[in-house]
Amino acid sequence: MQEPPLYTEQVDVLIAGSGAAGMRAAIAAHDAGASVVVLAKGPRRANHTRMSGGRYNAVSGLNPGDSVDAFCRDTVEAGAGISNYKLARILAEEAMDRAYDLESYGLAWDRKEPLRYCTSMTGGGSFVRTLGSVDEGIGITEVMLHQLHKRAIRILDFHMLADVVQDDNGRVVGGLALDLSRGVWRYFSAGAVVIATGGTSQLYETSSGPAINTGDGIAIALRAGAELVDIEFMQFIPISFVSPPSARGYTLTEPAHYGKRHVDPTAEGGTLLNNRGERFILKHDPVRREGSTRDVLARAIMLEILEGRGTPEGGVLMVPDQDVFESFLKERPIYVKRLLENYGESQARFEAPIQVMPSALYTLGGVRINPECRCNVPGLIVGGEAAGGVHGANRLGGSSMPDIQVFGRRAGLAAAQEARGEKGVGARFEKKALARAGQLEQCLGRADGLRPVEVKQQIQKLMWDNVGLVRSEKQLRHTLEAFANLREHVLPHARVSSGARVLNREWMEVLELENLLDVGEAMATASLQRKETRGAHYRTDYTETSTEWAANLVVSRDGKKIKVQKVPLVTGGEAGVQLEPEKALASCKQ
Amino acid sequence: MQTVATFKVKVRRFDPAVDESPHYDEFEIVGQDNWRVLDVVRNIYERHAGDLAFQFACRVGRCGTCAVKVNGVPVLACQERCKPEMTIEPLTPFPVLRDLVVDRTEIEERYASLALTPQRTEAYKQGPEALDPQRAEEICKLDSCLSCMVCVSACPAVEGRAFDGPAFILKLRHMARHPADSGDRLTQAVDSGMLECFGCDLCTQLCPADLSPAQAIREFRRDMVFGSDK
Repeated sequence: MQEPPLYTEQVDVLIAGSGAAGMRAAIAAHDAGASVVVLAKGPRRANHTRMSGGRYNAVSGLNPGDSVDAFCRDTVEAGAGISNYKLARILAEEAMDRAYDLESYGLAWDRKEPLRYCTSMTGGGSFVRTLGSVDEGIGITEVMLHQLHKRAIRILDFHMLADVVQDDNGRVVGGLALDLSRGVWRYFSAGAVVIATGGTSQLYETSSGPAINTGDGIAIALRAGAELVDIEFMQFIPISFVSPPSARGYTLTEPAHYGKRHVDPTAEGGTLLNNRGERFILKHDPVRREGSTRDVLARAIMLEILEGRGTPEGGVLMVPDQDVFESFLKERPIYVKRLLENYGESQARFEAPIQVMPSALYTLGGVRINPECRCNVPGLIVGGEAAGGVHGANRLGGSSMPDIQVFGRRAGLAAAQEARGEKGVGARFEKKALARAGQLEQCLGRADGLRPVEVKQQIQKLMWDNVGLVRSEKQLRHTLEAFANLREHVLPHARVSSGARVLNREWMEVLELENLLDVGEAMATASLQRKETRGAHYRTDYTETSTEWAANLVVSRDGKKIKVQKVPLVTGGEAGVQLEPEKALASCKQ
Repeated sequence: MQTVATFKVKVRRFDPAVDESPHYDEFEIVGQDNWRVLDVVRNIYERHAGDLAFQFACRVGRCGTCAVKVNGVPVLACQERCKPEMTIEPLTPFPVLRDLVVDRTEIEERYASLALTPQRTEAYKQGPEALDPQRAEEICKLDSCLSCMVCVSACPAVEGRAFDGPAFILKLRHMARHPADSGDRLTQAVDSGMLECFGCDLCTQLCPADLSPAQAIREFRRDMVFGSDK
């Protein structure tokens, strides 16, 4: 067999992912003196940050009642008591500085007066502390991208990280990437590799994320020996579009359903109704009602749909508050346009009920990191949605944007530091990269078996039905058996109809399938272990939250075998700020 | 409620490494009347042509990477409603990587060469930067350009003259209106060929983000005469 085409080069820091976490890591690593290469799996603008509403939690000093302590407490409470306290604290402490960084890059936060930002509420928060800008995630990614251009940081479009390469002691010494646009392999010998590839919402049938979010980096880290934490928790956004097919799962921005509650914590949000006209949220959260956390809302809606009280197209009805239409039109005109195009004029004007459904939004767990974004594998640094710990069992609305800025920067700093003593070692391991590339080429031009898209649909259905908003032992075991079967009998024969090397989508999808299965298996295994209901994890066979499970689950792989370990929570030192276990419990029972 | 619809589709296929010239494959796709062009392209890939090269990511008009030409008109595939008969081609005038995917290398180089970060005379100080709320809103709107290249592809001035294209002027206008920026964006806009625009407004009509590059050009032209009010 012919040797795969592979080109080797040397760089200090290799970053996989062109979303905000990857770009922020690139800026920090470059400014700390490292040479940097950023890999984007598609064109550089095809990333999850760009799809975000861009809402940004930070302690800005504008709300005298708010504080770092309060933001930290909200984060841990929303995380149902199991967030990594140290990481949550860092998020609360550094979010505002990173918001100022974005302003220095050219982002214009919304404001009412020249020196006063507009702030609002998001799901689960107890204080008005959320910044935003009309250009949302698009604006954030644009101003950051131009900062990379300014620094002449190399961004390689259509480069998918396939695996990291490790030395004989397990240290990461480089990354192997498939250049999809040329159909060749590139091996980057690197002092440090940063995983900033985002989450894995593509594991689910209905998701709000981009098609590229197949959990590649999480799976690569797992295969390299990294530990995952809280991987059983997947956040679903409760309010997203139901149709047309291309828009199914796309998030309808929170201000649409929060209504006046968007700026006033005591006000009511839009009302949710099932097909009998019942306000079903009252059964689940009579206190916060439609202003409840995302996990409660999403599950409540899903249960109505599963129990036959949804609309024929698989949603429920949200009756928006007509009084807020004018301000909504001014602040979020693009969503009014989408409502008009997807549903019709009366819905776009908030004059008729809007059909909504939950959708897979954010991978709460991920690679287990320390405050410097390092994991247990030396040379491997992880930041953003691919990392776990900050959000625990559920995430506050508006906290992903500061997370990826704060920990993106920390990842870049750690990577630059890591790379200082490691020059050119990785080149010695080029043969390992070549061997792996050879394995990943075997499927090219293979004409038998199922199409990768069919296998992907099977995985997505299994995850949506069994490892989604509603789970049980029976469902989880069934899923793990089905995954084992797919891995053993189906994936090795997945068909790649063409032997073309350039932009061969089926080839890319076969690579993605292995990653999806690795992460899906880890999620289902951890979900099976956690015999309780907490945050985004709801078990029909264990419906109560239990103090016994106020712990984190750590998943790792020993060869092909998955190991799950229950570890004590990471708590903080400062007295009076730390959340007491009873309170954490109370917050998740609400 | 949606109704079933049939689409007759021709797709331009071309692999520069193998093919001497492009050819067109024809498909008849059964879908629903509210389908977008992307739904049809995905259906072709999933059911009929596993070797089709095409690009999309967000599917909701935000990443700007799925732009193609449908019946000769540049559009975002994820936003454009289907027509009963469609010819789908890659975006012109960009080099084709394969089938419907274009090489954006030169586009990104052009953005980079425009130095689109605020050029500050004084270093940024941590803390809110004084910015009029209305100006903030204006800046944000200018910055919500998707860089999808629909307007550049459609612009008749780009086709016949030395003009980089409307999208780039929009970006320069973003910086020109940013109070922290001291760069001479007007000169850059002129150097990019802005004066070749003859005001047809096609860019505004086709912009999937509802922006108006033509208006940005008109404002730059006004600045040439009356000076900037920055």
